Amino acid sequence: MHSHPLPEPSATMATAPYNYSYIFKYIIIGDMGVGKSCLLHQFTEKKFMADCPHTIGVEFGTRIIEVSGQKIKLQIWDTAGQERFRAVTRSYYRGAAGALMVYDITRRSTYNHLSSWLTDARNLTNPNTVIILIGNKADLEAQRDVTYEEAKQFAEENGLLFLEASAKTGENVEDAFLEAAKKIYQNIQDGSLDLNAAESGVQHKPSAPQGGRLTSEPQPQREGCGC
Amino acid sequence: MFYYSQRLEMKAQVADAFIAKFQLTPDEMNLLRGTKDEPITEDFFKALGRVKQIHDDVKILLRTNQQRAGLEIMEQMALLQETSYERLYRWTQNECRTLTQESCDISPVLAQAMEALQDRPVLYKYTLDEFGTARRSAVVRGFIDALTRGGLGGTPRPIEMHSHDPLRYVGDMLAWLHQATASEKEHLEAMLKLVTIQGVEENIQEVVGHITEGVCRPLKVRIEQVIVAEPGAVLLYKISNLLKFYHHTISGIVGNSAATLLTTIEEMHLLSKKIFFNSLSLHASKLMDKVELPPPDLGPSSALNQTLNLLREVLASHDSSVVPLDARQADFVQVLSCVLDPLLQMCTMSASNLGTADMATFMVNSLYMMKTTLALFEFTDKRLEMLQFQIEAHLDTLINEQASYVLTRAGLSYIYNSVQQHKPEQGPLSNLPSMDSVSLKVAMAQFDRYLSAPDSLLMSQLNFLLSATVKEQIIKQSTELVCRAYSELYAAVMDPSNEYKDPETILHRSPHQVQALLS
Repeated sequence: MHSHPLPEPSATMATAPYNYSYIFKYIIIGDMGVGKSCLLHQFTEKKFMADCPHTIGVEFGTRIIEVSGQKIKLQIWDTAGQERFRAVTRSYYRGAAGALMVYDITRRSTYNHLSSWLTDARNLTNPNTVIILIGNKADLEAQRDVTYEEAKQFAEENGLLFLEASAKTGENVEDAFLEAAKKIYQNIQDGSLDLNAAESGVQHKPSAPQGGRLTSEPQPQREGCGC
Repeated sequence: MFYYSQRLEMKAQVADAFIAKFQLTPDEMNLLRGTKDEPITEDFFKALGRVKQIHDDVKILLRTNQQRAGLEIMEQMALLQETSYERLYRWTQNECRTLTQESCDISPVLAQAMEALQDRPVLYKYTLDEFGTARRSAVVRGFIDALTRGGLGGTPRPIEMHSHDPLRYVGDMLAWLHQATASEKEHLEAMLKLVTIQGVEENIQEVVGHITEGVCRPLKVRIEQVIVAEPGAVLLYKISNLLKFYHHTISGIVGNSAATLLTTIEEMHLLSKKIFFNSLSLHASKLMDKVELPPPDLGPSSALNQTLNLLREVLASHDSSVVPLDARQADFVQVLSCVLDPLLQMCTMSASNLGTADMATFMVNSLYMMKTTLALFEFTDKRLEMLQFQIEAHLDTLINEQASYVLTRAGLSYIYNSVQQHKPEQGPLSNLPSMDSVSLKVAMAQFDRYLSAPDSLLMSQLNFLLSATVKEQIIKQSTELVCRAYSELYAAVMDPSNEYKDPETILHRSPHQVQALLS
């Protein structure tokens, strides 16, 4: 798999009839300091942000990816992990198509709190919301405090996707966002996700060009692709 | 013949080159003029670029002897340009009018159209207005749908389903608006990404401000309802903090332009804060209306406990507030004076009819409760210091009370007073009534019993003190006072001028020994 950061808006992009066919809304949740903002930054900017400040409330980022030939815009809401923001961040679960639930593999306490994050996620999102569990800081193998196997088991018991990733090295960061997108896309394909629901967290664009739309040849693929 | 044909051919070539350079092809002309329903395509922009180019290039002719051709072509191109811009504007306007869905993808052609229109500031502005109007109604509809309909299958549930939970209700509305504002800004950024003129960022902020203006009324009506229903001081305070937080968050997107949404949120913030302080003041004035007698155990009254609970909740939500530190500190002073000052008054009034020791004990307990409540929170140092001073004042009272209690019970009270008031001209102390050595010996026997069991002579009030440290401090310092009294008595008895015979048999313990026994 290879992929590139979303190019800066430029004329070269302005050739396809639409920039994307779907918008998926994501939220990132998990304890303070597990690296939620760094994961987002790595995903959208392809850079590791050392000394990332604590998130105040909620921040967001976007990137266009491709799943099964469909361009999908991810609108990602990165929530603060600090307890005092819980009341605020809970309002952002509403209508999320995907949730990245992050813990830090070197701090067991962040893993132990997962059930509380999961309860929030289940209570405040759709039954169809795809939740992916992410063990971040996988580069710090020597300090590992949570084994891959037990997290994997937790994920299976709760019907979650699961990956270990590193926002620092970038390992599996693409996959984390893409796996969730693939699953959501699959739900759309097999009809279990109702797109007409106003707040399914997914918005669909008509893909056929209408009158008045530009119809030149599509440019070569520029966005990250999930293969 | 050959010569002529060659010349003609050359002339033809020159004419062709001239036409290719300074005229549009029929195709290009058609593209630019178009018909009403014909779509704008990328070729349109190429043709438009050509017109501009020709208009510039043709200036060369003006410097040659082809001035007339030059002027005519210039005029022709200028006219064509106007027609094209007119057509482009109509098309763009129509495009914008269709963008009324909640989701809105800016087509690349639209971005190109805006790039072209930036050369015509009036058309550019009208187009942005058109876009703003369309998006404004889309956002209002989206907001109302989220409030009242939610998702189709019932998930997520409409925001208004949670209107019984004021904090969640207000928070959900504001979070929705935050997300909508961010999305609208993204749309505008996509639409204006090719525009190079100055002030694009300002344009974006202005239009986002316009787009979000429509939701202000439905938002305001709902938040006002929540606030006016007086959900209680703590909730009001949390809501006011939430509003402040979103004011900050949303201004990060729309800047500090005079966006009506920001003004509305600020108004609601001020209103909630005002009602919050009203509610605190009301609570405080109720305290003063019905001052109760202190409970028999001289502990904090139920009104005090209740109010401190309220204060604790407010301060806790304050501590966990999402508002920056300096803004919190300012509120703090106001909250504390709004609650603590009436509380202190209430305690003083309810203690006013008690005896000295009861009063002091009750006040120490009440003040101590306030102090331990405040000590858990930041920015309370000044108040804590003030409370400590007041506690110490009442402690002094209790220490004196306890010391005189011991002296009275040990039968030394009268004797000690006589010693203190004795003047040399009254003659020797032993000649004063009840100061003879026999009386002193009787008193000393009683004092000895106290020395053997100092704890037996504690004022009952001391057992009501909530703080063990305070109680110990009182015992320690009052014991010191007793020792000092004994030292004075001892010195007086040992003084030969007071004419006690064998003073060592009357006071067989030195002050040092007494001190050792009592410590």
